[in-house]
Amino acid sequence: MSRKILLVAMFAVLFGVFATSMIELETLFNTYGKTYFLEHGYAETGASNLVTAILLDYRLFDSLFEAGILLIAVSGVIWISKHDVEEKNAKFMIDKYKTPDLFITFARLVYPLMLAFGFYVIINGHISPGGGFQGGAIVATAILILYYIDANKETNIGLIVTVEKILYLLIVLMASISIITQGAFFTNFFNPSADADLKAIYLVLLNVLIGFKVALGLWTIFTAFLKEGR
Amino acid sequence: MNPILTFIVILIGFYGLATSNNIIKSVFSVTIIESGVILLFLNLGNLEGGAIPILNDQVSYIVDPLPQALMITTIVIGSTVTALALMLCIKIFHHYGTVEWKEVLGRKDVKS
Amino acid sequence: MSQIPVILIFLPVLTALFIYLFKWRHMHLLALLTQTGMTILAIVYFLHFKDQFEATHIILGGWSDVRIGISLANDGLSMAFIFLTLFMWWSVLTYLYRFGKTEHTFLFFLMFLQGVFLGLLQSNDLFNLFVFFELTTIIVTILIAYKKTGESFRAAIYYLLLNTSGVLLFLIAIVMLYNLYGTINIRVLSEVIHTHADTTILKFAYVLMMTGISVKAALFPVFTWLPKAHGVAQSAISALLSGLIVKGGIYLFFRINFLFESAGLPYHNIFFILGLLTALSGIIFALAQKNIKLMLAYSTVSQIGLIIMGLSSPDITTFYGGVLHTFNHALFKALLFLGAGVIIAVYRTKKLDEIRGVFRTMPIISVMMIIGMLAITGMPFFNGYISKSIIKYGFEDSVFRTLALYLVNIGTTTLFIKMSHIFFGPKMLSYPMKHRQQNITLLLLALACLVFGNFYVEIMDAFFGIDYAHITRISLGGLLDYGITVIIGILIYLYVLKKDVKLVKGIREFKISFETANILFIALLTVLTFYFVIL
Repeated sequence: MSRKILLVAMFAVLFGVFATSMIELETLFNTYGKTYFLEHGYAETGASNLVTAILLDYRLFDSLFEAGILLIAVSGVIWISKHDVEEKNAKFMIDKYKTPDLFITFARLVYPLMLAFGFYVIINGHISPGGGFQGGAIVATAILILYYIDANKETNIGLIVTVEKILYLLIVLMASISIITQGAFFTNFFNPSADADLKAIYLVLLNVLIGFKVALGLWTIFTAFLKEGR
Repeated sequence: MNPILTFIVILIGFYGLATSNNIIKSVFSVTIIESGVILLFLNLGNLEGGAIPILNDQVSYIVDPLPQALMITTIVIGSTVTALALMLCIKIFHHYGTVEWKEVLGRKDVKS
Repeated sequence: MSQIPVILIFLPVLTALFIYLFKWRHMHLLALLTQTGMTILAIVYFLHFKDQFEATHIILGGWSDVRIGISLANDGLSMAFIFLTLFMWWSVLTYLYRFGKTEHTFLFFLMFLQGVFLGLLQSNDLFNLFVFFELTTIIVTILIAYKKTGESFRAAIYYLLLNTSGVLLFLIAIVMLYNLYGTINIRVLSEVIHTHADTTILKFAYVLMMTGISVKAALFPVFTWLPKAHGVAQSAISALLSGLIVKGGIYLFFRINFLFESAGLPYHNIFFILGLLTALSGIIFALAQKNIKLMLAYSTVSQIGLIIMGLSSPDITTFYGGVLHTFNHALFKALLFLGAGVIIAVYRTKKLDEIRGVFRTMPIISVMMIIGMLAITGMPFFNGYISKSIIKYGFEDSVFRTLALYLVNIGTTTLFIKMSHIFFGPKMLSYPMKHRQQNITLLLLALACLVFGNFYVEIMDAFFGIDYAHITRISLGGLLDYGITVIIGILIYLYVLKKDVKLVKGIREFKISFETANILFIALLTVLTFYFVIL
């Protein structure tokens, strides 16, 4: 009990300081970044979705490692989930509950729609809300619905992981082409003054690669968890 | 006022970390903290209001796109951390038969 | 030429991917090849930019506005850390030469971690720093859990959750700074940071960042993850963790302090106290342990305290003394951990009481270990003596600080007198395996200890342009100090530790639960808030 009181007291202090600083911020607020992106964002990157412009051009270096984190997590989760050490308490559950028929029927109906929506979000990432990461997650969800339809579905994880790694290599390669054409790493390989339609080629290609990579990565992670349940 | 409220979400997460004795609850507490941080970022980007940062002819006043882009990265990082932590939880359960911090940390391994 | 930092980051990452994709038999040779290439590139880069570090600032994507986009930058400190990183990876890769032949997954994580760590050192963007920070945490978690025993899983999740919550605090500070200054470029920020120096929000952002970094750097009272992680990981990973990954936290500690320098925050005293507490608590826990890996792990905690004590000094020579001690500690602690790893592999136990007769069984490794012990306890001619002397020299004016330093030093000496018992005793009859290439690694590290102990003036001058000619290699006072410390250490050992009194036993079995660790974490945040914001 005493530790809870202590906690709440500490939280009160922190909250007070935070509230003061937020009130201060309302007068000190700096909009340099915002105005910059509004004025130059479209002209420099060719993406009318400024979030995509930042993710795939201004801060591409971050996005590469964001994809890298997913890559590491996939390999890590697979490595940890392998059973080659003796585990006393491992109880393997069999799927006792059958998925309801209604759900299966609707899932079959919805599955192609979700897939199509995922691809739409990936491909149109530079002009409408979305992009590789978001669309990849949607595609992965669509694939995961298949497991509800058929719980015993077998997946070749090894192959997926290999493809995922190759995709990551491609993304890095794609991002560094600009060192040849522009003289700087990690930007669009077309000149900043080029036509927006031309620059969109790069954005769509990169979005598609990232989208597939994310989808495969999330799929693998889910499969690893599913195996634990079986 | 909104950014101030997001800090409450963060504090709830810390409260969970400091009081729960269950590993899975701790994992969720970290997720809650992270959600709070994401809300804070988005709220601060939206402090002055504005349209979504997708440019067309009518838009002249937008919210800050940078926090939104950063938060995509944070969400991906958060989901990987959660996945890794939950997988570790499963493995801990397999080894110790429990996910209570006290029992897991208190148990002495035979080998060491 | 100026793009070499990017290549340094991506070369190991790509090598890691190749190792994972093509699991050929001789993939570990590829890792060594990459390592050679990177070392050459780093040396070329350093020689080219040695006198003009301002020119190393590159903006990725070639944007004309510095405040937009990510940039990388180097200075003497980051270059020195890059060379340390390369050296540590050289030692770990040669040490694990046989292991790496078959364990491709392990090699994959190890090489990826190197790229990420080099990124962490060179990044000049706060959010990018956060990404690398978190990526390091995740990879290290996997490396800790790599052995897949119950113990390693619990250490891994403890590490992951505590560090992630720390890193998230760092993230809150980033958004505050972004909204205050409209940029997260570190160089630009450090130039304009004084414009809002007196605001609560700036001070609070500093506190949040420092608390997040404290977890990573294992400061008091949030060091609890460190012994757990070091105790269960493989010896090579323990060496890497205490030699380098924890130093990542320390690197950020002074990077962020540089960033906030012109805001004039009074951080010197509070971090001296925190460093002292870290050093004392680390050494007290270390003395009570009976597991050699735990002893070394807690000793790392106390040495980090010592480093922070040096780094928090306002005097620039003492500050660089702390930096030098960071390097020296990486060298001798890696040597000790790797040596201990060989001993543990041969004796199949980590218990101090069961290991005897190492000197007669493994004379070469014992000599290396003894060099490491002499270095960490501060014997003249070895590297520990130099950096400790520099810090001591800086603290001369204050009796309290000098006394504190002596106290920590006596503790360390006692610890290694206790540990030196493994060398005595009869030869182990069946000596199972040869460790030839591991001997090479240890020899390399031991030589580095001697080099840093004797050529420190030249090294410090080349990297930081600081003259340490006034610190002599050997002096009568230094020898006398060392002798007295050893005698006090032997006395403490004989009358307190050897009898295993109740107090020592109590400290050994004292455990901090995860909840308490988090309460301590929040308490640290609150105390720092009180000190910096409210007072």
